[in-house]
Amino acid sequence: MQFIRATTNVVLSNSSFLKLNLVKTIWTSKPSYLKEVREIEKGSELIVQGVNYPSPRENYLLKNTNASVCPICSSGLDIKHTDVLILSQFVRSDGCVLPRRITGLCRRQQKRVSSLVAMAQKAGLMSNLTPANSKKDPKKRRGWKKYNKYFDESTIKLK
Amino acid sequence: MSALKRVQQWATFARIWHIYDATWQNPFESAALLKKYLMGLHKPIYHPLADCGDHVVVINCSEIALPGDEWKKRVYFHHTGYPGGASWTLAWELHKKNPTLILKKAIYHNMRGNLQRRYTMERLHLFPNESVPDEVMKNISNQIRQIRPVPKRLDHYTEDEVKEFPKLIDYPKDYIIR
Repeated sequence: MQFIRATTNVVLSNSSFLKLNLVKTIWTSKPSYLKEVREIEKGSELIVQGVNYPSPRENYLLKNTNASVCPICSSGLDIKHTDVLILSQFVRSDGCVLPRRITGLCRRQQKRVSSLVAMAQKAGLMSNLTPANSKKDPKKRRGWKKYNKYFDESTIKLK
Repeated sequence: MSALKRVQQWATFARIWHIYDATWQNPFESAALLKKYLMGLHKPIYHPLADCGDHVVVINCSEIALPGDEWKKRVYFHHTGYPGGASWTLAWELHKKNPTLILKKAIYHNMRGNLQRRYTMERLHLFPNESVPDEVMKNISNQIRQIRPVPKRLDHYTEDEVKEFPKLIDYPKDYIIR
C-alpha cells in the first residue's frame, strides 16, 4: 500500500512517462496514516485516489477540560523526563520534536517538552525514536555516553 | 531466661544479610543509605563499640546512574607518592576499569575515618552484575528498597501499551505522520 499527500482524484493514462512524473511530483516517501492513496487500474487508465484515514490517536485522546489553555497546562501533569509514553507523543519517528503549530502547546510547555525530550534521548530512554543512522542501543555509545544517567527537571530554565 | 527471651537475644545480635539492587541508583545517595545498615545505625542497640553492623550485598553495580554529565565531570585523584606521580581519573574511566569501585569509594568516604571503617567495609559485598555466589545468596534475608525508580525504556513497552496510552494531542487533519 502506498500513501501520498494528494487529496483529489488524479486520472492518468497508463504510460510509463506519466507514472514516473507522478512519483516525482507527489511525495510518496513515508506512510501517512491520516491520508491514504489508492491506485485503481481501469483498462488504460490509472486512478490515484487520496482518502482521509482516521487518526490512530482518535480513540485514546484525553479530553481537554479547559480549551483556553494548552493540552499540557489543562491536564495539570508534572511531566518528568522518564515519562517516555507521554514525551513520545510530541516526537517524530526520527526523534525530532514536533513544531508548535502541530503540537498546539503554549510557548512555555513547548520549551519544557523539547528539553525533556533531549533529556530522555541522552538517558537512552527513547533510543528507538532516533535517526536511521544512529546507534539504537545506548550501551553501544562512545566513552562516557554509554553509562546510565538521569537528569533533574528543575534545571530547565523557563521564564 | 525463657525460650522466647533467649531467641530474642540471638535475633538482636545476629548479623543480618541485606541485598540492594544498584540498577539506575545514584551511588552517592545509595552510600548514605547502605552505610546505616553496614554500621548498624538502624538498630536501637547501636553503639560505636557494639559491633552490631550487618552485611550488605550490592548487585548490578555496573548499572549505577549519575546525574547529568557527572560521568565526565567527577574526577578521582591518586598520588603514587613520587614526584610527578599525581593522576586524575574521570568517573567513567574508573567505572570502565572496575564497575564496583565508584560505589565502594562512595561508601568508604561516607563513613568517618576511624579504625572501625576498614572492618565495616569487610561486610560490604559488591558485584558488578546479578551473578552472586550461592554461599552468599543463601544468607540473604532482607532487601533494601531502591531510592530512585528504575526508568523503563520506550522500546521495552509493548506496541499496544504505547498505542493505547492516553494521548494529550492529536495530529492536525492534513498532517503526514513521519
